[in-house]
Amino acid sequence: MDNKKSQEDLELSARRDFFKKTAALGVTALGATSLMASSGASGDGEKEILHHTKWGQTWGDPVTDNLYGVPSKYEHRVTRRTTPLLASGNYRASIAVTPIQESQGIITPNGLFFSRSHGGTCHVDPNEYRLMIHGLVEKPIVLTLDQLKRYPSVSRTHFIECPANGGQEWRAVQFNSVQFAKGFMASAEWTGVYIKDLIKDLGVDMKKAQWMLAEGSDNSEMGRTVPMDKVLDDAMLVWGQNGEALRPEQGYPVRLLLPGWEGNLCVKWVKRLEFAAEPWYAKEETSRYTDLKPTGKAIQHFYANEVNSTVTSPSPEIPWTDLEDGTMVEIEGLAWSGMGTITGVDLSFDGGKNYVEAKLKGLVLPKSWTRWSYMHKYKKGEKLLLTSRAMDDAGFIQPTVDEEVFGPGVKSADFGKDKTKGMGVEAIYHRNAVETWEVTETGEVNHVQIRSI
Amino acid sequence: MFKLDQYKFALTASAVALTAVVFTGCMEGTAKASASTATASTGKVWPTGPDIGGGVSYPMVGDKTGPYRINDEAHKMTLNHGRVPTKAELEAWDVDINAGYVYQANPNETGLPEGSGTVEEGEELYEAQCVMCHGDFGAGAGGKAGNYPALGLGNAEKLQKTLTNNRWLDPEADGPTRVFGSYWPQANTMWWYIRDGMPHPFSKSLSTDEVYALTAYMLYINEMSINGELVDEEYELDREKFIAIKMPNENGFEPNIKGPNALADVRAYYADESNYAGIRLKDPSERCMKDCQQESVKVVRVQHGGISNFNPPLSAVRDLPVEEAKAIDVEEEYKNSCAMCHDGFLHVKDPMWAGYTEKGMDKVYENGINGTPGGMPAKGGSSLSDADFKLVVDYLINGK
Repeated sequence: MDNKKSQEDLELSARRDFFKKTAALGVTALGATSLMASSGASGDGEKEILHHTKWGQTWGDPVTDNLYGVPSKYEHRVTRRTTPLLASGNYRASIAVTPIQESQGIITPNGLFFSRSHGGTCHVDPNEYRLMIHGLVEKPIVLTLDQLKRYPSVSRTHFIECPANGGQEWRAVQFNSVQFAKGFMASAEWTGVYIKDLIKDLGVDMKKAQWMLAEGSDNSEMGRTVPMDKVLDDAMLVWGQNGEALRPEQGYPVRLLLPGWEGNLCVKWVKRLEFAAEPWYAKEETSRYTDLKPTGKAIQHFYANEVNSTVTSPSPEIPWTDLEDGTMVEIEGLAWSGMGTITGVDLSFDGGKNYVEAKLKGLVLPKSWTRWSYMHKYKKGEKLLLTSRAMDDAGFIQPTVDEEVFGPGVKSADFGKDKTKGMGVEAIYHRNAVETWEVTETGEVNHVQIRSI
Repeated sequence: MFKLDQYKFALTASAVALTAVVFTGCMEGTAKASASTATASTGKVWPTGPDIGGGVSYPMVGDKTGPYRINDEAHKMTLNHGRVPTKAELEAWDVDINAGYVYQANPNETGLPEGSGTVEEGEELYEAQCVMCHGDFGAGAGGKAGNYPALGLGNAEKLQKTLTNNRWLDPEADGPTRVFGSYWPQANTMWWYIRDGMPHPFSKSLSTDEVYALTAYMLYINEMSINGELVDEEYELDREKFIAIKMPNENGFEPNIKGPNALADVRAYYADESNYAGIRLKDPSERCMKDCQQESVKVVRVQHGGISNFNPPLSAVRDLPVEEAKAIDVEEEYKNSCAMCHDGFLHVKDPMWAGYTEKGMDKVYENGINGTPGGMPAKGGSSLSDADFKLVVDYLINGK
């Protein structure tokens, strides 16, 4: 019996050893294979590791080079981009959009901040810069740039979004690119002065004054009408962008910043603020930046950019074609709202039929880009429809494409019957329906829309 | 100097409007979100107030506004920098043309100056300075990129009726026509923009009379009338006639922004999100998480490649840019790499060079490129290519 038991024990231990070894071997072999596969190493290993690098054996640049630094030469493809279809005839009334597929965190480098103008980027001499504030005030004033900067400054992180962001896709999806589908926006930390601080001493006639004209000094004298509510809330004149002076494309030396509101309202190269009882009907608040509805009426003075979000990784630009089966991959994106602060983001893998909650990460600030994240185990060959949906503290949640076009709560059989419901497809601006990326079997990523018509 | 009480009252009224909002949440599904996560359960992050645009604002509470700390003392102070502008300065800059003639008893408020111009004069100006972009008779699409805006596409009254056209059920249907005559609510916009923004490359170059003439031409191509009189080729427009213009689509916009109650009207409009197809939840837990779609939905892909003529083309590759072969500035290179010695010895065009060149230029180049035992560093210490350095040697010997 003892003998038998010991025999059994022996057999058992032999089997254990076998399993142990196999398991160990398996792990090693597997580990080695996947490492080799993912790095392309063969023989002794990668030349990148086994040999000295060129930059490791020669002098680098002296500190006297690039006294104003520039990105690595290898990043030369990370740029704003343009297309002739977004030019009103020429590239001086046009837009260059931000590569949000390459954006990190919630700050856009100043050189990549989207650029939109109506008569070209102008170059204002800061010594000749003057700001005039007048109209329904007891004491009109003019300020030089230095005088303006003497008021107590505030710094705020806000996105600026062209209300036409996504506006080319009301009727159909057109851009197989997140840069063009959602890159009519960028984000920065702005430094400037509250307008409410500037006008405290001027004796604004609050009984009559309802509106403020902000006028630019550029070729088109771009101006917009702003309601007093915003002037007395968080409207700013800003001169600082991410710790340095505004870039010319952003209105150097001073632009208006209306946190969360249409980028077009944030008048650049601003030279004049006038207070009045009645609004102005400037060109960019009549012929453009108005939203035509199915009723035939158009929304004028449409201020806040509504709650919005997009997946930025993966994207059509940076797909998942290199992912191995079983890789844990972060699905990442941006959420933002000009109505308030992002409170949550949901992610769908089936184009918006079912949602799970994603995690917000990093700083969550009012009227600011907010990062969100979801960890996903990638299955080789899987087909997905990635849709993100954001909410804000004003209570808004992103609509589906159908809901935005035909109205929330309208059944598809009733689409188009009630013209007072929905924005229709002629609005151009303020489109904030959910976006969907299709991940194909091979890991390619395409921009699609989930809609009934 | 503010009368803040009045403003506070306005905010209160708006807050009432906000709370009266009707819930129109997730309609298609049945399963609701669980209110388990902290971020999504309350829907409020910091103290908020109402905002005229339908969202929230973050009032200054103590030394905070939303998540930001503030120097609250700084924002309580009254500061007075700058100076009062002179009368001439005010007159020089306060030249906007507003729509005062529409809603005020005193049309002087509009800022529109005296002057006049005929359709005929306008046409002549248009042909000389505008047609290359805006096309014949303002039909647009004249520019290189082919999408300069149209200014008129026919009878304004008739085209105004197209604004109810919506391609929401049929993408191939006729869309709305939005040009000056059919769409713009006020005429002051056209006068103001022509004067300040046109012609695009030479803005602010037109005289008052020329602006009247071009505006008259705009009315002509839009087949518009003033006081019942058709603006024909003979028509002469002046200030008095201009302020009598009634735009066909004057009442085609919402919310109301005219009159002393405008801001309250705007607040009420945006407080009701059904005006702009918004969806507002009372609580985030009400949103749909499962089975949220109607059966009619399908996946719609980009057709025919979509828009893809991007500049530069899309690419996420990280590599070195292709350096364009650049012609070097030989004088500049000489100054940087050679002058410190050669200004004193074997200077530019020095006759002494003859003693070296007679051995053949190849030897001179070779010495230059590799350096000499006498102390001449290779290529003078520069990082020029051999070919470029030879150009500098040529300059040193022969001058420019």
